[in-house]
Amino acid sequence: MSKKKRKKYSKNSGSKKNSAALNKKASGKPEPVISISASDREATDIDIPVKPKILVDKAKLRRTVINNSVALMNVVLVGGILLTGSVYTAAFKHETKADDENRYLAEFPDFSISSYINGDYTEGIANYFDDTVHGRAHIKEFIADKLMPLKGRAYGGEEEVELYGQAHEHDNEPVTAAPTTAVVTTAAPTTEPVSITETAAAVTETDAPTEPTEAPQPKLPSSDDMNAADGEVTNNILIVNKRGITLYGGGWGGELQYASYLNEYKAALPDVNVYSMPLPTSCSFYLPDKYKSLAASEKDDFDKMAAAYDGVIAVDAYSNLQEHADEPIYSRTDHHWQPLGAYYAAQAFAKAADVPFDDLSDYEEVVLPGYVGTLYNFTQSSKLLNNPEDFVYYKPKHEVTVTQYDTAFNNPVSTSLLLDPSYFGTSGYYMVFGADSRIAHVHTDCGNGRTLVIFKDSYGNALLPMLTGSFENIYLCDIRYFDRNAVDFIKEVGATDLLFSMCSYSAVGVNKNNIYNNLHK
Amino acid sequence: MVFSRLFFIYIFLPLCLLAYAAARGIKNKNTVLIIFSLIFYAWGEPVYVLLMVFSAFVNYIAGLCIKKYRGGKGDTIAAAGAVIFDFLMLGIFKYSGFIVENVNALFSSSIPVPDIKLPIGISFYTFQTVSYVIDCHWEKVEPQKSFKKYLLYLSLFPQLVAGPIVRYSTIEKEIDDRSIKITDVSYGLNRIALGLGKKVILANQLSIVVDNSLGNIADATVVGAWYGAVAYAMQIYFDFSGYSDIAIGLGRVFGFHFDENFRHPFICKDITEFWQRWHISLSTFFRDYLLYVPIFGKRRKYGGLFLVWLCTGIWHGASWNFILWGLYYGVFVFLEMQIGKKRMKKIPVVIRHIYSKLVIIVGFGIFYFEDLGELGKFFRTIVGADSTGLIGIQDKIALTNNIYLLIVSVICTFPIIEGIKKLTDKSFAGRTAASSAAAISSAALLLISSILLVDATTNPFLYFRF
Repeated sequence: MSKKKRKKYSKNSGSKKNSAALNKKASGKPEPVISISASDREATDIDIPVKPKILVDKAKLRRTVINNSVALMNVVLVGGILLTGSVYTAAFKHETKADDENRYLAEFPDFSISSYINGDYTEGIANYFDDTVHGRAHIKEFIADKLMPLKGRAYGGEEEVELYGQAHEHDNEPVTAAPTTAVVTTAAPTTEPVSITETAAAVTETDAPTEPTEAPQPKLPSSDDMNAADGEVTNNILIVNKRGITLYGGGWGGELQYASYLNEYKAALPDVNVYSMPLPTSCSFYLPDKYKSLAASEKDDFDKMAAAYDGVIAVDAYSNLQEHADEPIYSRTDHHWQPLGAYYAAQAFAKAADVPFDDLSDYEEVVLPGYVGTLYNFTQSSKLLNNPEDFVYYKPKHEVTVTQYDTAFNNPVSTSLLLDPSYFGTSGYYMVFGADSRIAHVHTDCGNGRTLVIFKDSYGNALLPMLTGSFENIYLCDIRYFDRNAVDFIKEVGATDLLFSMCSYSAVGVNKNNIYNNLHK
Repeated sequence: MVFSRLFFIYIFLPLCLLAYAAARGIKNKNTVLIIFSLIFYAWGEPVYVLLMVFSAFVNYIAGLCIKKYRGGKGDTIAAAGAVIFDFLMLGIFKYSGFIVENVNALFSSSIPVPDIKLPIGISFYTFQTVSYVIDCHWEKVEPQKSFKKYLLYLSLFPQLVAGPIVRYSTIEKEIDDRSIKITDVSYGLNRIALGLGKKVILANQLSIVVDNSLGNIADATVVGAWYGAVAYAMQIYFDFSGYSDIAIGLGRVFGFHFDENFRHPFICKDITEFWQRWHISLSTFFRDYLLYVPIFGKRRKYGGLFLVWLCTGIWHGASWNFILWGLYYGVFVFLEMQIGKKRMKKIPVVIRHIYSKLVIIVGFGIFYFEDLGELGKFFRTIVGADSTGLIGIQDKIALTNNIYLLIVSVICTFPIIEGIKKLTDKSFAGRTAASSAAAISSAALLLISSILLVDATTNPFLYFRF
């Protein structure tokens, strides 16, 4: 560097103070960065201090490095989750069934031109990956237990009330609106009954175990079975005092249609005793008073049914159940009752049918602890998940032979009265009583010559073991899965007694239409 | 295919990112994007993907013709022809059923109602093709010579099926030349996580609230109906803006800079401002291409306004409630124009906020009910004329059960992130801390959203139906 330039440097770079100021600026506040272009430097006679410039660049460089490091960390973190999730989703073992949902999970679709064109194939592939995530049940439990409670608080203090689905207050006054069909009529209803509609939470179609082999295989019931009571069950659930309660919406004339259908059966079968035992749900007995307005009265609808029967014998299970409401007659976590509830209902029926009835002590009690039922699946509530219950069922000591047929009363196979829940990952209502899509014939050692046909929904499954000491033959048929003419069938098996027993939802809801359809097949 | 499903996030997207990273040079990267975009669209529309490609081809040819006959009749004919083609296609696939139904109702005719499935995203990509052709005609952009590049613009999967409506001019240069910095990738990934969180954590959960309240309007109380409408306004905001966030984020990861589609619309003080903040790409489309169409002569200011709001409504769906919804906003914008900006500003801010929020919430009630009978019931219920009471026990339970969700949702409608940025931008340390926090937050959002998606059945974005 020349003398002149040195001088200029000395002059223009200023004192140490100036340099320090620049240094301070460079190391302290990053912006704005001083930079002068090369052309500018040539045009000016002011020499550019080299040392401070380097410091400025270093600071800028350091900031850039830090920025890029943070960005890189960000990419590694989020990108790492993407890649890890990718490996987890694609390479980890795919689940095949969901015990908590009682359904088989999606399978990888088979390719066909038509399935590709209509989009089913590609959608099926995506569904397969979405539906079969490894550890699905545990992840869902985590969601229910840790994430969903973050949405808000339970209502009502210690009652810890949660509402799932739609609800509104009912005045619970008797419905005065005219029914859509006459109260007592044997004419066909004006509206053609429809088939079952299900609003299942489950989305994947599954195969029901329609043809059990001699030794029952651990097959899961279908999602249809899950929604034995009709779709409303999935929509309106109140959780109170750690109990899930389906809110009954009312018959709105459906109860009178139900009665008229049963009257048709009686008219077609004058020599058969026809009974109707509609079953209340837990909402009738466990809904605290201050929430009672959220449900309609099942009792009112049952009374209206009874008033509309013509030759049909009304069986009052309601009162018997009410007397025992302080016992565990209904499941807290499932939309069904417990077998003990079925026992008390069967007791009322046996009395009405004037048949012998076994004492509870004649049964072998089996307790399945840790049961979390369908209402957890519907609500994903931690209140139910974290408060499992005992599922208690009763094995009759009678000698019985059980034959199971398909829904057209063909293909008989021997089976057992109750399934062994040890076959299954979870235990509970369906695990003990099996699927609905079958006709079961039970021959007992009762020897009274009485033959009973039961038309039921899934609630009715639990009645079967309780009546093995009361009838010599029992045919258990589900109203929704019955592919014969009902009257022909009843005559064919020589029934002396015919019982319609299903929960209130099935009796007044869309399921009841199957009662009519079965009569006209 | 929707963004908010595990298959997209953990199968499709990583494969696409890896292929994109592996491709060398802009040409190969573009090829990768086109292939994945077509797969993305064909996943949901295996047949209609051909329609989309055909539409792209027609508009690409129109662009070439415009260039060839620049300034001449051919230019206008090509532009007009393409626009007519585009709207005809939209009309056939989206509105033909609605039109025939109304003609039948009006003239008691019995013309068979065509049963045509709506191709996903047709409203979005048609508007993109229209904007491209008009911009070429107006010489705002140079027509694209390469069909491949034009197809890339139209089919780019981040914005293909539910917007934003990206103008060709926005990404014209980036189709040929784009650089991706690590900061772009991190920003993009964060934006994706943010959008996913909005959709899965907030919108999906709010949808349950909405279904349980507005879904049962026949038995709703006054409070229940308002509660449902507020929740629905927030649901649709988080749903749609969440999709836009993912689209913008994906675009950035691939080196594209899309314009913002939402700017916290609920902080608006009047309805005019609301539409400057809500679905910006749609309102600017109408502003640029429709508002000053000279078909109303001297009254074109108001005529154009009427047309814009009519079209805004119709664009959202072939249903009278959407038309009503559009005109409803048009009325308020018109009123605000009559009052004037200065006089509007003189109204106390609190009053303006209350006014605008009420209009918006009721507006989303109109948006929700496609059944006009139910819409009438909604109107009667919110004013207490036909409700089951002021408030029911079910409302109290539902509100309590979802109280934190609602509070967080309301907070998230405010520009929180922008506020934090403003605070931290004052120092380098602050910026660094904010960036680090953003990284951790994004990771958390992605994880929580993914976990929630395991239990989600179908959760399509609401704007898919448009």
